Amino acid sequence: MVSATYFDGRSTRVHDVELSVVGQDLVVAGTGIDLRVPIAQVRIDERLGRAARRLRLPDGTCCEVRDLEALDGLLSSTAHRDGWVDRMQRHWRSVLLALVAFGVVAVGMYKWGLPWAAAVGARRLPPVFASIISTQALKTLDGGLLRKSRIAIARQRSLVAKFDGLQIPENGTPHSLLLFRASPQLGANAFTLPDGTIVLLDDLTTSIGDDSHILAVLAHELGHAHEHHGLQLLLRSSAVGAFLTFYLGDISQLLAAAPAALIQARYSQEFEQQADDYAAALLNKHGLSPGLLADDLSRLSKLRPDASGGGYLESHPPTDRRIRHLRELARTDAFRRHS
Amino acid sequence: METVSSGDTLTASAYPPLALRFSGRGSEYFGIWIVNLLLTILTLGIYSAWAKVRRIRYFYRHTELANSSFDFHGSPIRILIGRLVALAMLLVYNYTVRVRSPWILLVLLVFAVVLPWLLRNSFRFRLYNTSWRNTRFHFRGSVGGAYRVFLLNGFLTLITLYLLAPFTHQRFKAYQHNNSWFGRARFSFHASAGRFYLIYLILLAAIVGFGVVIGLGGLGSTFTALGQVQRSGGHVDPRAMIRSLLLVYGALLLFGIVIGPLFHALITNLIWSNTRLENHRIECRISPWMLMWIGASNFVLVVLTVGLFTPWAAVRMTKYQAECIRLLPTSDLQEFVAAEPERVGAVGEEAASAFDFDIAL
Repeated sequence: MVSATYFDGRSTRVHDVELSVVGQDLVVAGTGIDLRVPIAQVRIDERLGRAARRLRLPDGTCCEVRDLEALDGLLSSTAHRDGWVDRMQRHWRSVLLALVAFGVVAVGMYKWGLPWAAAVGARRLPPVFASIISTQALKTLDGGLLRKSRIAIARQRSLVAKFDGLQIPENGTPHSLLLFRASPQLGANAFTLPDGTIVLLDDLTTSIGDDSHILAVLAHELGHAHEHHGLQLLLRSSAVGAFLTFYLGDISQLLAAAPAALIQARYSQEFEQQADDYAAALLNKHGLSPGLLADDLSRLSKLRPDASGGGYLESHPPTDRRIRHLRELARTDAFRRHS
Repeated sequence: METVSSGDTLTASAYPPLALRFSGRGSEYFGIWIVNLLLTILTLGIYSAWAKVRRIRYFYRHTELANSSFDFHGSPIRILIGRLVALAMLLVYNYTVRVRSPWILLVLLVFAVVLPWLLRNSFRFRLYNTSWRNTRFHFRGSVGGAYRVFLLNGFLTLITLYLLAPFTHQRFKAYQHNNSWFGRARFSFHASAGRFYLIYLILLAAIVGFGVVIGLGGLGSTFTALGQVQRSGGHVDPRAMIRSLLLVYGALLLFGIVIGPLFHALITNLIWSNTRLENHRIECRISPWMLMWIGASNFVLVVLTVGLFTPWAAVRMTKYQAECIRLLPTSDLQEFVAAEPERVGAVGEEAASAFDFDIAL
């Protein structure tokens, strides 16, 4: 016998009843109440913590049971079995297992699943998507961080011509545009928009050296364009953001925003390496040495001492390592060119 | 906050006030939370609808009034459909706004027509699927009422540069609470717009004081500009990025820890202390200070535990707020009658119709 509270579904009146099981039938007995229902027709709530469980009878009435152990005893003689999610969420062993599994799956998805999906997604997305985002972004930047370029038009033209000569038609990769801008805040810099448009800032154009050195920087940026790094980053950070909102959303949207930025910085390191390798190959095809890009990097690290150095938060891998890697490529390429 | 005519009338009443009791525990909820997370990530988000039902049920079933707990009857499939529809709408909206397509006016028009109706249906879904003592709640607000509150008042708020925002908030709550039922008993709402204005003035004063201290404006724009470059795949000096990020984040954090709870406590107290179920009064006394303390300490603990404290934090917050609510009954609460069976059937059928889904993302 298990005591329960019976509600007839017509009013909130409390009826005290006793539950018992006879054969495969549930018997509900109380003042003026005498019901006998096959247990298979009773919907039994899963256990959630120590909340009262409800047994819902086919006629829309229900019994609330507070003594969970007694109810388990009563149900053990019947064919009723708790669902697997139900059991999983209340035994500490399976909860611990779920915690470990969650950690493993989350890390696996972050390290392999997400980069793979973002790379595929960035390739498959209709190009109009990237161009919309890029137009929008450029408009915002032009209204804020970017100024008109002070480079003479003739020089701009000659650089654009050389840049166009650098590009090799490849399947699926749109022809990149080259834009000139200035920005006191961003200094000697260049960046690529998701649709492949490259923005070259005046400080870099004037301080990096001769045209071949500028071309080396542009080759690096073409690497970003070719691999759709902008879109990939966008897709990855949206997915990470969505996950964090879900993970911490119970508590704070704000809290979910912080790690996303850090994670993004970590991700972009591998993109820099990829772009370096692409640039090295491209320069080599045009009879230029990857060493040019290495020169650029060491000059930039002197121009912007703040931006060099290693560490987790660095969006570029330690510059020294990249320079060493490029010089090595230059040596082997030179060897190949001569032999 | 709210002074219900307590004292003599209450002590003289044969029925003492009944506080809501919340008996959930962080350690129990942790199991549900982590299994929800695991299954959601394994199904790439599809399970999240089922996870939501389990989460709501955990909180409802541990919330008791007069020794009987609440229950949630929502179907996960319907929630999933609701989410997919909401996602599709969001995508269409973002796309047309970004492209500045000539269709934008049409899309906005369709949204204006559809949204009030969807919101009304979502109230209906939530209330119809909530029960206490095997008796369901209902929402019977008309579609016309939804248009008046969301479109007309929303429009008036916009053209008066938000001067009417507190008034609109009051109209919205009146629409929501005056049309809510428990069985055949109707809720009613009694807070005047003037009292909403008072709370909004406090909010405004707090924000202005805060804004002056932090000087958020200039800081915020540099941050968005830097963020824009970063998002477009550009290279920004990461240290400058992180410096400005930390500053803005710190400012937002202070805002979220102080002003958010202050407003939430004041407005929740006002709304619930002026809501009645027939002649049973409700009293809500959330202390802004307690809310700030719980919010801030939860935040710190969640950060320190890399998120693992989340279930305890959610339980703590719910427990505190739920237990600030009391019902001042004028009866033994046994006499509430469920809506007539045929009526329930009709409502049930409507509720099951394809459009009655939960729209909260």
